[in-house]
Amino acid sequence: MKKSEKRRLAARRSAAVSPAPCADECAVMEVAMKAGRLLLENGAEIFRVEETMERICRYYHVENPSFFVLSNGIFMTGGGSVSGGRHFAHVEHIPVKGAQLDRVVAVNQLSREIEGGRYTLSEADACLNAIARMPGKKRWQQILASGVGSACFCILFGGSGMDSAASFLAGLLLYAYVLLLSVPYMSRMIGNVLGGVLASAACVALYGLGLGDDLSHMIIGAIIPLIPGIPFTNGIRDLADGDYISGSVRLLDALVTFLCIATGVGVVIALYHSMTGGGLL
Amino acid sequence: MTRILIETLAAALGSVAFSLLFGAPEKYYLECGLTGGGGWLLYRLLTDFTPFSPILATFLAAAAVALYSRIAAVRRRCPTTVFLIAGIFPLVPGAGIYWTVYYLVTGEASLACSSGAAALKAAFAIVLAIAAAFELPRGAFRCFAPRKKR
Repeated sequence: MKKSEKRRLAARRSAAVSPAPCADECAVMEVAMKAGRLLLENGAEIFRVEETMERICRYYHVENPSFFVLSNGIFMTGGGSVSGGRHFAHVEHIPVKGAQLDRVVAVNQLSREIEGGRYTLSEADACLNAIARMPGKKRWQQILASGVGSACFCILFGGSGMDSAASFLAGLLLYAYVLLLSVPYMSRMIGNVLGGVLASAACVALYGLGLGDDLSHMIIGAIIPLIPGIPFTNGIRDLADGDYISGSVRLLDALVTFLCIATGVGVVIALYHSMTGGGLL
Repeated sequence: MTRILIETLAAALGSVAFSLLFGAPEKYYLECGLTGGGGWLLYRLLTDFTPFSPILATFLAAAAVALYSRIAAVRRRCPTTVFLIAGIFPLVPGAGIYWTVYYLVTGEASLACSSGAAALKAAFAIVLAIAAAFELPRGAFRCFAPRKKR
């Protein structure tokens, strides 16, 4: 009994000591950080980021890892007596940007496989680099998807077939603007205000040309691609998990975006209204 | 009834379109469309054939979407977010926000207030529904996990 206990203790000690000279531990934490950054900037929830980083650290035996993940930054420390009293600390600022869910899916898959023991550290690192280079959807695909989405949602909110055809065109135009102008050159707020203006102005123009029956339904469909679905959903998830800071920041992000779109649409409707005297709308 | 079917198809196709826009992997499109279409179908059936208010209907539909997303996530071994976003998108009160702005700009303050309040309530209903659906422990969904091949 005693003997077996002693052996187990020794085994545990050697398991804790053997794989962790300092350089190694640092490398593990770099890898964990890379995974965390990929998840966070591509639209994962806070708890998933924390869980993945913890899994990686646990599997590769990092001592005392601890993380603090916010919606736009990760703080992590680790190390201690095993690595000769040396600690690892890393803070990274991760600005909010467009999400790409297939990267979240890929990192999630990778972290399960790491836990299943299928990767050495350097292989995992190489995998993460490959995920970071994963190409997004092609531009024309995104623009087409935006048009199709607009057309569908126009029907959903009561539009007719012609309305939805007009929304389709406005949605195409809107996303071309988002990809070519708004994202590379503008701040998020101005980009969304102008997006709202562009979408509704396009609808007004199409309506003037005789395409579409009801301007309101056309505009509702056309602005849908701007709606911040990911920050909204993730903000709720974070609040539900008890991550109040990140949750409220993400919901605020969604709210500000909503308000910006509304401002843009409002400007166009007001102009149109004053020009036509309100009779036509 | 045909109208509801057409809308459901539109919701499903629209959800797939937005999944593509958010970069979800192709192999999950079927489930994304199912969540989006299913959520909207449930919402329309509840508002048309039961005395439930649109808010309650939004709550129930969002809860169903969230539960189904969790099931699909366990079954396909991937993050819930992928399905949840596709399913929630049709329920987000985009139209409500438009009408609020529209009435504000056209000077009909009371209509603006009521549609704004309705949009807020719908958003809050979605928040509550998701929070409630994620309150269930992970273990409750284990029975949907795929069998391991050994």
